[in-house]
Amino acid sequence: MARGELLLEVRSEEIPARMLRPALSQLEGDVRSGLEAAGLAPRRLAGYFGPRRLCLVVTGIPAAQADETAREVGPPASAAFDASGRPTAAALGFAKRCGVDAAALRRVTLDKGDYVVVEIEKKGRSAAAILAAVLPAAIAGLDWPKTMRWGAGIGPWVRPILGIVALFDGEVVPFELFGVASGRATVAHPILAPRPFEVRGAADYRRKLARRHVVVDFEARRNRLAAGIRETASAMGGLVGEDSELLDKLTSICEIPGVVGGSFDVDYLALPSEVLTASLRDHQSAFTLQSGQALLPGFVTVMDRPDDPEGKVRAGNEWVVDARLSDARFFFREDRKRSLEEHAARLPALTFHVKLGSYAEKSQRIRQLVQMLCDELGWSEEREDAVTAAGLLKADLTTEMVKEFTSLQGVIGGIYAREDGAREDVWQAIYGQYLPVAASDPIPRGRVGVVCGIADRVDTLVGIFGLGLMPTGSRDPFGLRRAAQGLVRIVLEADLPLDLDLVAARAVLLYGDRLERGGEEVLSHLRPFLENRVRHILGLEGFAYDEIEAGLAVGFGNLPDLRARVRALHGRREDRGFLAVVLAAKRIANILKDTREHVFREELLREEAERRLFQASRDLRAEVESAEGKGAYDECLRSIARFADVLERFFVEVLVMDENRDLRQNRIALLQSIQRTLSRTARLTEMVVDRAELRKE
Amino acid sequence: MQSFQDLILDLSRFWAERGCVLQQPYDLEVGAGTMHPDTFLRVLGPEPWRVGYVQPSRRPADARYGDNPFRLGKHYQFQVILKPSPADVQAVFVESLEAMGIDLAVHDLRFEEDNWEAPTLGAWGVGWQVMLDGMEITQFTYFQQAGGMELDPISVELTYGLERLTMFLGLSRNVYDVDWVAGGVSYGQVRHQDEVESSKYYFELADVGFLKEQFAGLEREARRCLEAGVVFPAYECALRCSHAFNVLDARGAVSVTERVALIKRVRDLAVGCAEAYVESRRALGFPLLAASGSAVESADGQG
Repeated sequence: MARGELLLEVRSEEIPARMLRPALSQLEGDVRSGLEAAGLAPRRLAGYFGPRRLCLVVTGIPAAQADETAREVGPPASAAFDASGRPTAAALGFAKRCGVDAAALRRVTLDKGDYVVVEIEKKGRSAAAILAAVLPAAIAGLDWPKTMRWGAGIGPWVRPILGIVALFDGEVVPFELFGVASGRATVAHPILAPRPFEVRGAADYRRKLARRHVVVDFEARRNRLAAGIRETASAMGGLVGEDSELLDKLTSICEIPGVVGGSFDVDYLALPSEVLTASLRDHQSAFTLQSGQALLPGFVTVMDRPDDPEGKVRAGNEWVVDARLSDARFFFREDRKRSLEEHAARLPALTFHVKLGSYAEKSQRIRQLVQMLCDELGWSEEREDAVTAAGLLKADLTTEMVKEFTSLQGVIGGIYAREDGAREDVWQAIYGQYLPVAASDPIPRGRVGVVCGIADRVDTLVGIFGLGLMPTGSRDPFGLRRAAQGLVRIVLEADLPLDLDLVAARAVLLYGDRLERGGEEVLSHLRPFLENRVRHILGLEGFAYDEIEAGLAVGFGNLPDLRARVRALHGRREDRGFLAVVLAAKRIANILKDTREHVFREELLREEAERRLFQASRDLRAEVESAEGKGAYDECLRSIARFADVLERFFVEVLVMDENRDLRQNRIALLQSIQRTLSRTARLTEMVVDRAELRKE
Repeated sequence: MQSFQDLILDLSRFWAERGCVLQQPYDLEVGAGTMHPDTFLRVLGPEPWRVGYVQPSRRPADARYGDNPFRLGKHYQFQVILKPSPADVQAVFVESLEAMGIDLAVHDLRFEEDNWEAPTLGAWGVGWQVMLDGMEITQFTYFQQAGGMELDPISVELTYGLERLTMFLGLSRNVYDVDWVAGGVSYGQVRHQDEVESSKYYFELADVGFLKEQFAGLEREARRCLEAGVVFPAYECALRCSHAFNVLDARGAVSVTERVALIKRVRDLAVGCAEAYVESRRALGFPLLAASGSAVESADGQG
């Protein structure tokens, strides 16, 4: 079976689910590049993983490196042989260095004359020999988020390695790593099938594992689980919701895709459905069962075994779920002995940040900010509800339920407010205050939710920046990037004409003397930080980086306005007239570099082309100003595009740098005025234009 | 069905047969079996060690006046240390479950990532929570650092939660109903009054001023002992500091900033004790390194 097939399996004690996939991709990459570096590029490479193993099947590996002939050049022939044709001491020394007899010396004619040479055949190394070096290095070199040592200080690796299968075309690739020798024996399941068995190659390996119920291919296992979960749910009269994150996790914690369902006491359905779902999902990695919008008193999860012959697994899981839900109900009842408002009364004891004070103080600042935001936005009808919501926003942080299920912060407050009889926009605002978290999440619903979401984030950003604790590299302990991302998304998606600098400045004032940095300094750090989020989000919306830069260069304060400018630029991307003006704008910028402001005098116009440019520029300014007043940025850019011809003609026919100083300064003044007009919508010089592309058409 | 004391007997016999010193609970208040000097100190340095013992472990903040069917201010752990960690430790652990009468052929056993860290001990490790049919029954940890020191060789720690295991095996819904003696005295009859009264002490009676003084006094005492070169008395003072801190914390008498500072003070003592312990063993020539054929075996898990 000379197919050039490598089977590699590294079997270890259970590897954390979250680390499996990244480790496998690195292993694939490192083995591939190790082979390629040795001139043994494989045809195909496939990876598999389960909690107890990482596997690679590589095919089409050449059997060996190509043979090579290396030529060593020695002394000139004239110095290598004496008059009688016998090798001299120099020739003998050379032969010895090369490890050959003098008889192997050959005489050849090179460019520089006749020399003696030795030709050495270099056999290419076999793939097996190369693999014996590449594999242990690739396995040992994996970058784990956290490693450990074991036994007599062996390691580091993610968990102790139990065994290694390494076969090349059925033969063991011999190596040793962490005291474990490679071989052909593996184990399917430590409890259900603990006896080691030997394999001959990839197909045999998969077949023998499958016979012992282990599905080593992740996708296949995931599909089997998804189908099993659906089946079990439907047998219990329900459905499970889409949750591919949970399904991925479950696929990573078992190798045998078994599914088990169970039920719980129907009385628990009196708990809020969010609490039930979070308890089952976060603590038990189980799906809740649904029928329409309603939950059923049941759950479905996985087991690392094919069946549940005595119902023990089901009974055990039901017992645990009952204990969890009983805990949740206890917390819920404890919490509900007080109204959310009474919970809020305990916020002074809860620290937001040692230097920034308690959550009670934060709530107070948020109340001030939402009032300002409602005033700025002209949302007077929502003002009162926003203030109410702001006061209750953080109250759930004192509840038992949020201490137990931190993922439910906000949601719990919202539910409790609803149960207390709060108005819908108030409880919704509390409920959705942390949205959006993931990219697919919506922004908070309703105006009250929107102002609360903005105020909370601005307050946090300003406070932490005010202590000089800006995120650095991958360190972002206060989650400021996410806060900024959420803030920018809310403002953009709710289409709010807000000046964020103004809001941030107000937030600075509300901190009084708590901040360690001055307001100007805070804003000067915060602005580029927010700009980066804007770049990211607009980039995701499909705008090119130069369009975004051109827009950002003229104004940032009002994000929907910024987006309108960027969108207009994007729309003119193919407009040849507009692109020509962009090039002209760059030329103008070059000419005007280091010039001073000059006064324009109409009477100094000499040439026809400059006269026409002047008139056209007056018209252009009027058009641009009027269109801009209406926010019609595309109209601005279209006017600018129509300006291409007259500009071009000017540059062809008129020399700006005239010898006459007055004429020269007058033309500079004209260009300065044109530059101001051109730069109103966006800084056109930021745009990247391919000149060749433009000329071609 | 296995009673509470059956489990203790089964585990004791199982691990004694695998070469463990069958130790007894430490006679001071500790938060976990890890704090017993036969774990915390013995995992340091090069000497091999195998030990198993029950450790009543106090978590004042978890006390619930004997009302909560799952939470206790004091629970019992069965603690095992194997140093160095044997290559087949997972398999031996599985055998220990079978020794308790758990037929794993019909259960689902999984190892879920759970790394352990004890800031007051300057210790951390890597491992799993072992899940039986979705229930966490054991903490399985490879110690990497203790007392702020890198460990070599590495010890593995197995911590069985005895109440949970007994409840789970009998699918009992209330810890107080569990049989301590099969068909005889219940866990509640042994422990309930203690839980009620200890809760009252932790949450209502404990004298904050006295405990703070006690903390400071014990800290001074620990330092004096360290200066005098006696490790065990110093470590005992550190343990009592740690318990005083836990009671203060449960009493709600520790602010956020104070909390960080107190943890650091306990940690400093623990680190001091750990360093002094290694030095004292070095001075003795690491006696257990030389011991052979004794209770300490580093072979294949069958002592």
